[in-house]
Amino acid sequence: MVDVKRWRAWLRAVHRDCGYIAVGFTLIYALSGLAINHIKDWDPNFHESERTLTIAPVPDDASDAEAARRVAEAAGTGTPDDVYRAGDEVRLGYNDGTQVTAVGDQVTVQGRSPRFFLRVANWLHYNRGKKAWTYVADVYAVMLLYLAISGLFMIKGKLGLRWRGAVLVSAGIAVPLVYVLWSGGPEAHRGESRDPPKIEAKQN
Amino acid sequence: MQNIRSRREFIKTAAAGTLLMAVGGALVRIAADDLTRAARAEKRADGRQRLPPGQRVIEYLKPMGGDEGDGDPRNFRLHVYGLVKKPLEFDYKELLKMPQVTKEADVHCVTGWTMLGGEWKGVQIAALADLVGVTGEARYVIFEAANGFTANTPIREATMDNALVTYRLNGKPFAREHGAPVRGLVPDLYFWKSAKWLTGIRFVARDEPGYWETRGYNNHGDPWKEERYG
Repeated sequence: MVDVKRWRAWLRAVHRDCGYIAVGFTLIYALSGLAINHIKDWDPNFHESERTLTIAPVPDDASDAEAARRVAEAAGTGTPDDVYRAGDEVRLGYNDGTQVTAVGDQVTVQGRSPRFFLRVANWLHYNRGKKAWTYVADVYAVMLLYLAISGLFMIKGKLGLRWRGAVLVSAGIAVPLVYVLWSGGPEAHRGESRDPPKIEAKQN
Repeated sequence: MQNIRSRREFIKTAAAGTLLMAVGGALVRIAADDLTRAARAEKRADGRQRLPPGQRVIEYLKPMGGDEGDGDPRNFRLHVYGLVKKPLEFDYKELLKMPQVTKEADVHCVTGWTMLGGEWKGVQIAALADLVGVTGEARYVIFEAANGFTANTPIREATMDNALVTYRLNGKPFAREHGAPVRGLVPDLYFWKSAKWLTGIRFVARDEPGYWETRGYNNHGDPWKEERYG
């Protein structure tokens, strides 16, 4: 006969320790998940700014220094760190990432700065860095599996998994299932595409 | 008993609050979406509805992420090669000296937004194809971009009149997150096919599904057929 009380106590202890470890990971994955999930409504990685203004066009025969001076003066961005001219464009670059581009009589000033925390959290969430983070993320995923499954059994309660437990577990399974059925799932919009041959995916 | 009642009250309150927020959000979205309604009533010259199914109109391009390229026009090089007679590589200044076009085009993101009527300036991919002398065996065009990103399109769609190598939208250069200095534009396919931070255009005989196409997105990506996922 298995000692159920000791078994549940062991589950609880490991669940609690995994929970402690998972806090940091969960904050990163959940907050960046929220941020990335709404990527069509905002830029989860950067604060961006853009303004345009009109100036007298820079003459083609103006020297680079003169062209830069005119554009920077109009934009109010100070002395540029880099000047590049191509065709009708005068581009000024600044070390803080600001770009000023004059095309004819129009000047566009584009700036951006990374969002604190989310820029890094999203990078981790997307696993852009690859390498060791792949294994770290795997470990976290396994821990989440343990937290979910051990959570079912670690506290018996009056009725165990009957009634409220069963209803809530069923709801958690039913919601994604119903959504897949309702939306038609991944096959819904297959259309008339060709079947792609398998190739080695390149790193993005 | 008190605990149960409290719990029930909490669940009821939480459910009511969620429902209220969902209904309120939906109403705001419906009320604010005049642009989408107007676009749905329009037709394109080819007879298709201007707004593909499942799309919602927004006014500005949304940055959709990606592993960014250099962004500096000084470092830009575009390699046009593959099944061609004369492969070509050119820089930003040389790109601006090529025959330029400005095309008005709508773009449709696979995530559901559409931006209407952008004025895109650049060089037609068809013109580049003529320049390098694409051979008769070429059937697909592979757009290559920074950090190994690729996107595949049938050559017919990549060389349509409105398919460009583009460096300006509505008279402005692209911000870095939108693919500066130069991106592809294939507006009649979902926008992920219009590769940002473009580095190469390769003409090939056999299809080569690209970055997103090998990660669950549709291989073709026709917005009017809602070819979103593979």
